Amino acid sequence: MSAHIVSQKAIDFLMELLSQQAASESIDWLKNQSQEISQSTKTMKLFLAFGKASKYFDKSSLQISEVLSRDAEKLRKGFTPSSWDKLQAARSILILSFPQQDEALWFKTINQLFETGDMQELKSLYAALPIYPFQDRLIDRAIEGLRTNMTLVFDAVALDNPYPSEFFDERAWNQMLIKSVFLQRPLFLIQHADKRSNENLASILIDYAHERWAAGRNVIPELWRYVAPFLNEYRIEDIKKAIKGENLLEKQAGLLACHHSTYPNAKKLLAEFPDIQKEIEAGKITWESIGKSFAESLIKN
Amino acid sequence: MEMYIDPHLHAVSRTTDDYEAMRKAGVVAIIEPAFWLGQPRTEVGSFKDYFSTLVGWERFRAKQFGIMHYCTIGLNSKEANNEALAEEVMELLPLFATKEGVVAIGEIGYDDQTAAEDKYYRLQLELAKEVELPVLIHTPHRDKKKGTTRSMDVSEEHGLAPHMVIVDHNNEETVKEVLDRGYWAAFTIYPHTKMGSDRMVEIVKKYGPERIIVDSAADWGISDPLAVPKTAALMRKHGIPEEHIRLTCYQNALTAYSQSGQMEESDWLNPEPIDQRLKHAGNSVLRGGQTPRVESSSDSVEN
Repeated sequence: MSAHIVSQKAIDFLMELLSQQAASESIDWLKNQSQEISQSTKTMKLFLAFGKASKYFDKSSLQISEVLSRDAEKLRKGFTPSSWDKLQAARSILILSFPQQDEALWFKTINQLFETGDMQELKSLYAALPIYPFQDRLIDRAIEGLRTNMTLVFDAVALDNPYPSEFFDERAWNQMLIKSVFLQRPLFLIQHADKRSNENLASILIDYAHERWAAGRNVIPELWRYVAPFLNEYRIEDIKKAIKGENLLEKQAGLLACHHSTYPNAKKLLAEFPDIQKEIEAGKITWESIGKSFAESLIKN
Repeated sequence: MEMYIDPHLHAVSRTTDDYEAMRKAGVVAIIEPAFWLGQPRTEVGSFKDYFSTLVGWERFRAKQFGIMHYCTIGLNSKEANNEALAEEVMELLPLFATKEGVVAIGEIGYDDQTAAEDKYYRLQLELAKEVELPVLIHTPHRDKKKGTTRSMDVSEEHGLAPHMVIVDHNNEETVKEVLDRGYWAAFTIYPHTKMGSDRMVEIVKKYGPERIIVDSAADWGISDPLAVPKTAALMRKHGIPEEHIRLTCYQNALTAYSQSGQMEESDWLNPEPIDQRLKHAGNSVLRGGQTPRVESSSDSVEN
């Protein structure tokens, strides 16, 4: 599908979704703005509507059925509007409405939005990366988004977003993963993370675990997922250390890493914990279940 | 515990110690007016990044300490005197005026009361009308009385209703006219010179609490980010009724600036359910090993 068609389809799709869950006056306003923005290469209309959208749409979650989630996936592989709010759906429609014929103008315009965005606007702008035109020219922008210290902006790039796994080179990918670990983000929401795991990442993560342990601190249990494919005689000792403590999640994570590993000693280690092994094999312990439980433990503390 | 709003505080110049102390003293919300930085900027990009900080990072940073952060956007009077630059800044303003948490156009008005200051003050009054935001007026420190009168005259010339305008940096000499003409009268409490807490107590005794607002204007100069709670404490000591303290140190600011549609009490009383993912955050301003003071919805990250 050409970029232009993807944009138009995304507009239609998001508009349809919003129409079912926002006031009709708000939808009228949005349609009207979208129409006017699409007909002019003047940027002020877009800029003002982009800011004003918060007066018409709130930040409650976008409700989306399973059927429509599949439609989103067909529209753009990995596109996950189920993690969006209404305001960001509306803002995405406005951006996608801006004329795309002139590539230089498009970048100039969108860069200005990025450079002047408030927190919520930045979240919208980055989360919509996968449905923008000129996909292969947005890599630096996506990486820039990860340099932020505002968690919700970081999340917009890193989580529920197919863009990084498709476009980042190993260095950028690893930086994103490490920062996600560092910030204790829910790693299971990173798309195609297993496919992009690599030896360098495993090595950096092990070093990180050692640093944390030296400081008397725990590591995020999901970390072991990215070490699993690269277990060896040294790293198995780290797994042993992780599962030795009282923390059930760390134990589950270390053993789940063993389960996913082809390293023979990892299998042996797993067999020493038949109860957990059974739960893993029954699909009761997964990276998602561990990630979710860990996130809940952060809220409680 | 008492709740306070400091409706004038330049948080970009303050440390995390200040944020912590403010929160402990009961400050639940602050408004950061766009101002100058102690020396004039020379490039429009400096303004753009400054405004971005106000609507982005500083908002985020404040929240980590349990304080809601709002701001006003405007070209201050001092820097309005660089006309070439002022023209460029004026083009930026509409872009920021409609952002989330922007509760007024300000602080604008007069410093030296030059022709350039007058020009950009008027243009920004028009902008405020267009985007339907209140205005925060910075009254001049020199020739204050005339400058204050002039600020209101010009505002009325442009058709702004007094209830949409907050006149700041008042003193005993200006307050009567400002109140009589129906404006909000804000007072900046300075630790050593100008307006102090003791004088503020006397003013509230004399004029009552209606439309009077107390603020700190804490910035990079000698100033006190706890000026509002400290003044409230002094009022209490002098037997000023609790309701008058609540109005001057909390409610009046809320009433005035909530006219923007960008600020309401529920922002801090019942924070809207944030993105589920946000709740999982690590910490930034909090370096390794420390325990966050704010509840776990704090979405801070490590630097």
